[in-house]
Amino acid sequence: MSALRSTTRLFASSKPLFRPAVFARSYATVDALSQVSATGHTSNKTIQESKTLNVQEPNPSEQPKIKTFQVYRWNPDQPTEKPKMQSYTLDLNKTGPMMLDALIRIKNEMDPTLTFRRSCREGICGSCAMNIDGVNTLACLCRIPTDTAKESRIYPLPHTYVVKDLVPDLTYFYKQYKSIKPYLQRDTKTEDGLEYRQSPEERKKLDGLYECILCACCSTSCPSYWWNSEEYLGPAILLQSYRWLADSRDEKTAERKAALDNSMSVYRCHTILNCSRTCPKGLNPARAIAEIKKMMASN
Amino acid sequence: MASIARQNPLLRQSCLSAFRAPWATKNVAQAVAFHASAKKQILPPLPQSIQGTMNDPAPIPETHPTEGSYHWTFERIVCASLVPLCIAPFAAGSMSPVMDAIICSSIVVHSHIGFHASITDYFPTRRVPKTHTFMNWLLRAFTLGTAVGLYEFETNDVGVTEALRRVWKA
Repeated sequence: MSALRSTTRLFASSKPLFRPAVFARSYATVDALSQVSATGHTSNKTIQESKTLNVQEPNPSEQPKIKTFQVYRWNPDQPTEKPKMQSYTLDLNKTGPMMLDALIRIKNEMDPTLTFRRSCREGICGSCAMNIDGVNTLACLCRIPTDTAKESRIYPLPHTYVVKDLVPDLTYFYKQYKSIKPYLQRDTKTEDGLEYRQSPEERKKLDGLYECILCACCSTSCPSYWWNSEEYLGPAILLQSYRWLADSRDEKTAERKAALDNSMSVYRCHTILNCSRTCPKGLNPARAIAEIKKMMASN
Repeated sequence: MASIARQNPLLRQSCLSAFRAPWATKNVAQAVAFHASAKKQILPPLPQSIQGTMNDPAPIPETHPTEGSYHWTFERIVCASLVPLCIAPFAAGSMSPVMDAIICSSIVVHSHIGFHASITDYFPTRRVPKTHTFMNWLLRAFTLGTAVGLYEFETNDVGVTEALRRVWKA
């Protein structure tokens, strides 16, 4: 694809020869650079970092390794102001190794208004999911690239409603999670009335499924979920769904399958595989969806 | 940011010493190459609306196997059978009309299912129900047209595989 782009760039200079300027397509970025202040609120383009204030490292060390972070900012208290990118420069010698350390340092020492979710700082809670340098990941599991020449860009999860700055609204995501009944459903008791037992083989089927922390990185990276998030469940929820379908102790497998058996819930998955590529926990939601499809086909 | 700077003298100082971001000084061609496609929003998202309370589950759609699992199985069978079907007549070297008919009908069915999936994806019923219905009928018309055309080509002309064989000069 990049090869194609460079070829088009070669031809770009000859364009005016062959067609009138009326039909020329404008480029998003160039537009933003030239007309940011002129455009009204009808345009939802983000204000570029070159038009906002740059917050500098407050007290750099002797030989500072200064790196720039571009962070998406939007404040719901000023709804008429457009979202903007804001640059912060940090000395990497005084910052921890992870993106979350950088964000926490920005919030503590430079700009207390920066808002983001974080809790465990070790990839267990899934709170700090965000889009860092174009990849959905957990800020706490994402190392800061040590190349100080390149800036890092931090956005909230793509195609989500933003609550503030880097905080996405996951209400509907959780509602979808609730709709798959994510708990053990059974009517019968075991023979001895004790716990529901599983063989090691049956337990093994749940490996790679129970580790999911519902950070929504995979769902928000899925183009199909971008277009149809109201009806398509998305990789994260389908992985959870398969976790209960695969559970040997669960007795409502038929009902669970019936709930998924329609055109939207599962079958909007077109095996794009962004989910498996982006999962910060290294899980494979695409495989779980494929297993669901197999189960549904063989009933 | 400006409001923050106004409140906080320390921040204001750091803001005043701000320099132009290095990104802005890069040449425009680079930026153009990076954002190679114009931003055109087809069906931009509506303002967020949540049905019921936060704790209600999302509605579960009705079970519809002919649009769900049966549909998917059928689609995969057609899809997988197209691979040997496309190779077989050329590998065997025989141009049977029956074989031709099977290939043509599978291709028509396969493309109909494929375009139908695109319509479901990009013209969602909840957003544009009329366009959705219109596109579906348009697709049906096209599929029918293709089927009739292929039928004519098979009965009154040489047929798809023979035509391909004649055109193919490799």
